[in-house]
Amino acid sequence: MSMGNWERLVWNQRDALIAGFAVTVEVCVIAFAAAIVGGLILCLVRLYVAPLRPIAIVLIEFFRDTPIFVQLMWVSYVWPELFGFPGSFFSAGWLALGLQSSGYLAETFRTGIEGVPRGQREAAFSAGMSPAQTFSRIVMPQVVLATAPSIVNQFTVIVKSSTLVSVITVPDLMSQSQRLVNIWYEPIEILTTTAGIYILFVFLVSSAGKFLADHLRRRYGLVAYS
Amino acid sequence: MSDSLKQALDLSLFWEYRGILLQGLVFNALVFLCAAVLALSAGLGAALMRVNHFFPTRLIGTLHVELFRNAPDYIMLVWVHFVLPLLIGIVIRRRVEFHPFVSAVIALGLVYSGYFAETFRAGIEAIPLGNLDAARAFGMSERLILWRIMLPQVVRRMLPEALNQFVSLFKATTIVSLIAVPDLMYAVSMVTQQEMRPLPLYTGAALTYFLIILMFASGVRAFSERWRRKILA
Repeated sequence: MSMGNWERLVWNQRDALIAGFAVTVEVCVIAFAAAIVGGLILCLVRLYVAPLRPIAIVLIEFFRDTPIFVQLMWVSYVWPELFGFPGSFFSAGWLALGLQSSGYLAETFRTGIEGVPRGQREAAFSAGMSPAQTFSRIVMPQVVLATAPSIVNQFTVIVKSSTLVSVITVPDLMSQSQRLVNIWYEPIEILTTTAGIYILFVFLVSSAGKFLADHLRRRYGLVAYS
Repeated sequence: MSDSLKQALDLSLFWEYRGILLQGLVFNALVFLCAAVLALSAGLGAALMRVNHFFPTRLIGTLHVELFRNAPDYIMLVWVHFVLPLLIGIVIRRRVEFHPFVSAVIALGLVYSGYFAETFRAGIEAIPLGNLDAARAFGMSERLILWRIMLPQVVRRMLPEALNQFVSLFKATTIVSLIAVPDLMYAVSMVTQQEMRPLPLYTGAALTYFLIILMFASGVRAFSERWRRKILA
């Protein structure tokens, strides 16, 4: 375990690792966007569309209470035959990650919406605002502020879970590093570097989340849900 | 579509292999139990280090928490299984290999010790300082203070959160199949290779885990709510 090993196994392979990291970021960002949209839809249906409420509750519970690895395998191998999509492992990867997080985010949004006092809505209505205006101008800004830290936190969960997309052959950082290990059978330097990159990345994202939470609390005096 | 739907929901194949699959589930439970014990003890250790007055001790505790809380389960699992034995081997100059089960317990135990440490710490910091001063004034030893004054209050306060983390830990045990611990997912992939019918098998696995975790999670939620109202109010 000399410095030469680090140069040969890690530094000289930096292109592969960087390409892998780029795929990791791509999968995570798409999954995160999908989770926010999906979570918002699930949450709104659960709160305001009475006939569909049971379906929303079952979906939220299913996404939250099924382990991510199981969901990933299920979406990759069962969905294409069942529904005809996703067409690639890449989309299966972000879809499974997005579905699970949408369940968690739906509950986060719900806590946020229910935290806005009823009187504010009534005041908005009596001031002549429409329900849509009330939601987008009165309720939503407060929900976003209050739930921002948990939303950031959910992104770190996605990053951690995204390591599993390597199992379905998506060429992310984890996958690239395992490929390199299988070429030389010298795992120490590569796997340690990969672990370090992931830990640092998650640490930076969650520190940003904490910073954001403190900032919001100071600026707006809000108690953040976490 | 309706044909494949019928196939996906026809769980008779899943039922046919119930013996192997159930054995796999037992492995999930075993990994969970051993990792939980490790996570609780290492977590308590790290939390006590973090609230220590001695700075280097506090630093080690903080490093432990930040390292393991921010590490993805899967990379830790692979690292512990493939790198840690080599490092130990270099130190003791002998070839070392970990049984997959041991690697799984160490990796998940360490990752969750990071989460448990934070839960313990929140519980410890919520104890009024006066309690500790009073105990010291009575001449209680530090060890006695830990067991009689601190832990009972900490456990009471952290119970709901800790139960949630146990649920997460159980979910995490599904990835141990990736280093060939013969758990339920491992059994499913083996049977899939034999039968070439992933639909009913993966659907069955997803439903099985979902039902088990739903049962635990909703039990935990109901319990936490009652607990918060009764004990923490």
